[in-house]
Amino acid sequence: MASSWPVAQIRDLTVDYHGERGWTRAVDGVSLEIGNGEALGLAGESGSGKTTVAYTLLGERRGASRVGGQVLFRGRDILAMPAGELLSVRGRSIGFVPQNPMASLTPSMKVGGQVAEMLRFHAVETPQGVGARVVELLDSVGIPNPVAAARRYPHELSGGQQQRVAIAMALACRPDLVILDEPTTGLDVTTQKRILELLAALKRETAVSMLYVSHDLASLAQICERVAVMQKGRLVEVAHTSSLFADPRQEYTRDLIAAVPRLDRPPAGRIEAPPPRHAPNLLEIDRLAVSYARRPLFGLGKPPADADSVKGVSFAVQRGKTFALIGESGSGKSSIARAVAGLTRPRAGAIRFNGEALPALARQRSTLLRRKIQIIFQNPDSSLNPRKTVRSILARPLSMFSRLDAVAREARVIELLQAVRLDPAYADRRPHQLSGGERQRVAIARALAAEPELIICDEILSALDVSVQASVLQLLQTLQRERGLTYLFISHDLAVVRWFAQDIGVLRQGAFCELGDTETTLSAPKSPYTIQLLEAVPRIDAGPPPETQPA
Amino acid sequence: MVLTRFGIALISLLAVSVIIFWCVEMLPGDAAERILGRNATPEALALLREKLHLDLSAGQRYLRWLTAFLSGDMGTSLVAERPVADYISSRIANTALLSGLALLLYIPVSITLGVLTAIHRGKPVDHAISVVVLVLMCLPEFVIGILLISVFAIKLAWLPPLALIDQARSFGELLELIALPTITIVAAMSAYAVRMMRESLIEVLESSYVLMARLKGLPKRRVLLFHALPNALGPAINITALNVAWMIGGVVVVESVFEFPGIGRLMVDSISHKDVPVILAISMVMTGAYIATNLVADILVILLNPKLR
Repeated sequence: MASSWPVAQIRDLTVDYHGERGWTRAVDGVSLEIGNGEALGLAGESGSGKTTVAYTLLGERRGASRVGGQVLFRGRDILAMPAGELLSVRGRSIGFVPQNPMASLTPSMKVGGQVAEMLRFHAVETPQGVGARVVELLDSVGIPNPVAAARRYPHELSGGQQQRVAIAMALACRPDLVILDEPTTGLDVTTQKRILELLAALKRETAVSMLYVSHDLASLAQICERVAVMQKGRLVEVAHTSSLFADPRQEYTRDLIAAVPRLDRPPAGRIEAPPPRHAPNLLEIDRLAVSYARRPLFGLGKPPADADSVKGVSFAVQRGKTFALIGESGSGKSSIARAVAGLTRPRAGAIRFNGEALPALARQRSTLLRRKIQIIFQNPDSSLNPRKTVRSILARPLSMFSRLDAVAREARVIELLQAVRLDPAYADRRPHQLSGGERQRVAIARALAAEPELIICDEILSALDVSVQASVLQLLQTLQRERGLTYLFISHDLAVVRWFAQDIGVLRQGAFCELGDTETTLSAPKSPYTIQLLEAVPRIDAGPPPETQPA
Repeated sequence: MVLTRFGIALISLLAVSVIIFWCVEMLPGDAAERILGRNATPEALALLREKLHLDLSAGQRYLRWLTAFLSGDMGTSLVAERPVADYISSRIANTALLSGLALLLYIPVSITLGVLTAIHRGKPVDHAISVVVLVLMCLPEFVIGILLISVFAIKLAWLPPLALIDQARSFGELLELIALPTITIVAAMSAYAVRMMRESLIEVLESSYVLMARLKGLPKRRVLLFHALPNALGPAINITALNVAWMIGGVVVVESVFEFPGIGRLMVDSISHKDVPVILAISMVMTGAYIATNLVADILVILLNPKLR
């Protein structure tokens, strides 16, 4: 199997798209090499061209109008390959692990069948042996009870198991190279940790080469021997992982590394705001229970109490401070956020705002109360109306909550854009003309337009790049200090929250397993679950795997 | 679940029978007047009314019909003086043949054309098929029928203009007679389904799982038939249920255009004669067919989508 050629060589690759505004260069003169048994990391922010580079290795152009240069796999140019030959390389010699396993597994086909067709079409297994090999593969990626799992449909598996199936599929034909496209983004922290462990183990055992594409430097550090950093279509730096993190040559790389949230030290440029020691409580939650269970008797009866997704949670948020709700998907953290915002009617319990009981649903609340509680959602792509300009997005809450004439309103729009550090000229743009981070800033500005006291931030960073996350966090801190805002901050990322929130509640299955001020809670966690979450945070200084000998 | 659906179906049938009965009741005149025509004397009318139980109140007549219907007796045609069951059964068979044949052709035609337009999106094949389909969508079915007659029956003289299938002497002749009405129905029905199939398949072809299947190195045919198509059929099946609902009404028009001896034409005739038992019986058959196709469509969608199982 050892060949004189390296597994993959990319030589002076350029990719151009032809759009309405003429040619755009997505990848500009990138050259890379992946050695036998080597894992190369490809890092960069969204739009840096890293995914485009990865897809060209599979001969997938993704709508590109012009691809130049060479992409050699074992010395053969993938870009010049006839279609039939390309099919025999895809899957057979180069495996692929997708970003979103839920969306990438065919919903109507059992997972066993999806693994089996790889073996069958690439004829790497005798027809009689396929069934046994599928079970063996599923077992090797750590799926419990693989015989039964093979007969399940994708939606019957958890996110982590779906990703394991995708990894089993990628490795099914014992390929020389596996391309991983953000394989752990979108997974819970603890699941992410286990998938990374699995990938590291598979790499040791099978000596497969990897191209690991991710914006998450900390994950890359755990798998890859070398990391390449891309920015705006160009290669910025390629270096061994340890030297890249210890001694980055380029300023862009240094910024990227500095933006990774860390538990052990505060982020650069953190704003220390000593809040009053005993601020009054702005928000009090008392034995809140939320249930999505269907009510028996045609929706007239009471839902059963044991089906609660939030099980009688109590906590208080002090004025001018940040309270972080931490938990994995399904822990009930967003249900609490929705109940506070008045989007979900709680099954039981009380919510008090400024000492007064808050009506359950937003439409029952007074205009004043609705003004004072604002929410920012996870995904600005879907929470901003794509047809509206930024100006009219921001003007809407202004006309709802205040009586301003057109001139004063325009002045406020400009003021709000400046408050979230956006150019006032952006008022004329529409959401699709902005980057992800800029869109989230518009969403923050929209919340600010109402002059709220409490802002609920529901996973507002998870759709953003690490470096953008850092700048949005900094913005939130500045706004808090300037305006005395209170945040209810929902997140799954402990490292982000560590230096941002004064108080923290760790949720698991709808109940707190830890509640207290961030400093003491995270330095001396009592619950084993919190310890597990803390350990799952990927660390850059954990050190890369020992360098493998070229096979 | 199935039991509730069944109960709802029975309630719908009952409601339809009440509505149809009262609608017919509101039409001027009665069957006796229609049968005797202009030379009716008051005595003859009274006699005939008594014989047909038309002298009873509307409520009583409805209850008589309902109790008989529930015990399996559809009553006697007021005009033909024959049991309704015998009278309409041969007509039902004819219509079932016509709609069955149309449905049988409709499914492969819509899937094939939908798939062709989707995979050749933006190319001449797509444009050509899409233009024809859009034109057919705009034309009412009787226009399509008349166009087909003028081209294939009159200009080219390949096929008979009237579909008097009761006069067919051989299977070949039967097919010749039934061809034009079948094509009319298929053309009118497929138009929507092709559009729906195209849209839903285009969406599926752009999904991550289809990309994933391609990156697995699977042949195109495998990707299309096993990864894309099963997930694109759901919306097309729902539109089929709507189409069948349309067909139940459309068949009345198409049968009239081609003089086809089916229940659609019988329905038209019976309404003009105010032949209440026949009207009610046909309504029950049509409603039943409609409910059944919806049920089948729901079950198929559930079977195709493992998440709903």
